[in-house]
Amino acid sequence: MPLSPASEALPDDRGRAPGLTRRALLASSAAGLALLVAGCTSSGKNPAEPVTDRQAEAMAAQVRVQAALVVAYRAAAKADPGLASATATLATQAGQQLDRLRAAAPVARSSSSASSASASASPAPPAGQDPKAWLAAQVSATADSHAAACVQQVGARSALLGSIAAGLRGQVGQLT
Amino acid sequence: MADETAVSPRTENAALQEVLAAEHAAVWGYGVVGAALKGDGRSAAVAAQAAHRDLRDRIAELLTSRNQQPVPAKAGYALPFPVLSAHDAATLAVKLEDGVARAWVRLLDQATQKSTRTLAVENLSATELRAVSWRGAAGQQPVTSAFPGLPT
Repeated sequence: MPLSPASEALPDDRGRAPGLTRRALLASSAAGLALLVAGCTSSGKNPAEPVTDRQAEAMAAQVRVQAALVVAYRAAAKADPGLASATATLATQAGQQLDRLRAAAPVARSSSSASSASASASPAPPAGQDPKAWLAAQVSATADSHAAACVQQVGARSALLGSIAAGLRGQVGQLT
Repeated sequence: MADETAVSPRTENAALQEVLAAEHAAVWGYGVVGAALKGDGRSAAVAAQAAHRDLRDRIAELLTSRNQQPVPAKAGYALPFPVLSAHDAATLAVKLEDGVARAWVRLLDQATQKSTRTLAVENLSATELRAVSWRGAAGQQPVTSAFPGLPT
């Protein structure tokens, strides 16, 4: 295999994207919250990643969407106990995604009760429908929602939503 | 039209160059992956290489349309480990896709245009779908990732 001693490493061995650490993600979110609390939006003092009211509301909406998916995993597992163990890892990942979305959209914390209410109102698999197929549809719809929202956001928020959308696309393939 | 953001078109173009560099590496790497596989595995590697080649060309054209000089492929790339088996090949494919995923996420972080973010999120998903398949072939668990392309 022709390898040069001075060859370039494959992408996985290159340094991580310098401006996109978890710390940076959370910091930008915190800055966004500070702007919101101060009543400032796009003209705020955070030059790196201004957040508009619409973007903040959109992030809160995506938190609710993800919360509903977490509830959907529980509902599907309840409807088909055999599905519970098969989807345990996927459900855990959905929960991790929810946690990170909440951290990136701190404004949503104040409406956590609303999120919970919305999540608890999430439908269960309809009688007669395969819970696994129903769950796959829920995951797919959630991925679609995050992907659409990703395009409307900027910076770390866009990156997070896009990553979660991609992760959920991967989950769909495990449910079909 | 650029969206409301302090990130400049220059940073978006730089991130696109990073995607292009990752795609160059993926095209090269899948040659190694395919050479180590037979049957369906090789077919999957060939299809993945074709997908990355198409994306490479698409990104290069996009950069050219912006009067940017697309970064060329490197003369050589270092393998992270010897590829001596089908398992090694699948593991390398996972690394290739994960590397490309990081570049797409970086682009999402830096993009100023909605069209660029659309391009990024669509292809980040496609990358993750391939990665899921290769993780399974490599015997990795879980095969899915909660946050493709993001630091964990």
